[in-house]
Amino acid sequence: MNEVRAGQVGQMAILFERHHRALFRYFVSMHRDRELAEDLVQDVFFRMLRYRASFDATHSFTAWMYQIAHNASLDHMRKQRGNIVDIDEFAERRPEFASQAPGPEEAAVRKQDLKLLGRALDLLPDDKRELLILSRFQGMKYEDIAAVLQCEAATVKVRVYRAVRALEQLFLGLEKEKVS
Amino acid sequence: MTCEETKLLVADYVSGEMEGSDELAYEAHLDSCPSCRAETSRVDMLWKDLALLPREEPGGAVRGRFYDTLRAYRQGMDAVPQRRWPVWQMAAAAALLLVGIAAGYLVRPGREVAELREEVTSMRQLVALSLLQQQSASQRLRGVSWAYRAEPNDTEVLDALVTAVNHDTSVNVRLAAVDALHTFAASPATRRAIVESLPRQNTPLVQVALIDLLVDLKEREGTKELRALTVGDSVNDGVKQRALWALEKLQ
Repeated sequence: MNEVRAGQVGQMAILFERHHRALFRYFVSMHRDRELAEDLVQDVFFRMLRYRASFDATHSFTAWMYQIAHNASLDHMRKQRGNIVDIDEFAERRPEFASQAPGPEEAAVRKQDLKLLGRALDLLPDDKRELLILSRFQGMKYEDIAAVLQCEAATVKVRVYRAVRALEQLFLGLEKEKVS
Repeated sequence: MTCEETKLLVADYVSGEMEGSDELAYEAHLDSCPSCRAETSRVDMLWKDLALLPREEPGGAVRGRFYDTLRAYRQGMDAVPQRRWPVWQMAAAAALLLVGIAAGYLVRPGREVAELREEVTSMRQLVALSLLQQQSASQRLRGVSWAYRAEPNDTEVLDALVTAVNHDTSVNVRLAAVDALHTFAASPATRRAIVESLPRQNTPLVQVALIDLLVDLKEREGTKELRALTVGDSVNDGVKQRALWALEKLQ
């Protein structure tokens, strides 16, 4: 990114190849809309080009990139307030789960559990889901997440704890529903 | 470590954020408490399962769109002539910035809230206008970001932004100014300025940003200008396509 900042904008191609998939997954998990996620990925790389001068080499590039992604997400939500993708409809479009279990019966149960977990994640409020995506899917440390969300690392710690709890409750609730 | 403390730390433990003595203390508690051990095991499984959720992959068009944008951006950068400014002009620019900052100190305690608000508003306007006149593109970009703090009916800041969109030598400043026009979208003058600016632009990125803004604002007055873009010989193919898309959206 330092080279991009210095004017060698062609180097942005390397960053694109390295990060666009992870960004895409972040946006899909946040908005449950593939087409929108692709647009937002473009938007993030465009913003990084445009505001490259604001990158501070003493801080984490990933945190800076997700800060831009977070803002792009918020801008979109502000514009589209009320226009929410139906969770069930999105769940139908999710790709199939890869089986991790040995036998066919266990595999089927496992597949069902993972489906419920995916649904529980979709049902989480946006802020909690974003924390889990950044922490679990993007493998970011609390300190970097704090930079993205403009808060203290200690606050992130508490919020991740609450998000995990909320996910657990939703998952257990869905499991009970399934049994009954 | 108590059960209560363990509950608060379970996410740290399963996510690997816990280290050293904290981790040892946590595990020591688990050895002696079946309930916390079961709870940690449940959350740990949930955490591991999150990594097994299917991974969405972007479509192939994403890459093509990115490289088109990057190419257009580089063309835009190459087309902008480089300027050099004498030292005295830089000093004058710094002085103007100081005027803006000094205006902030005009806000004195003890005044009525309405008066204070008015002064803060004028200060924001002054800083935005001062920065937008700076020689350095990065300072002018800061000016654009100050413009977001201006009142939506501030015609002076709006005029300065429109001037930046139409005449600034930096593509980045022009693009940022187009974005900032959103703040003033309620004013008919803003919409008119966007429509009038479209035929003046020759940088694809700025043209696309203006087209997107017209669509965002659902502004149908610009259809003549958009049609002109779809047939112009010198118009970039990406811009033509965007103009066609905008015409469809605005129908």
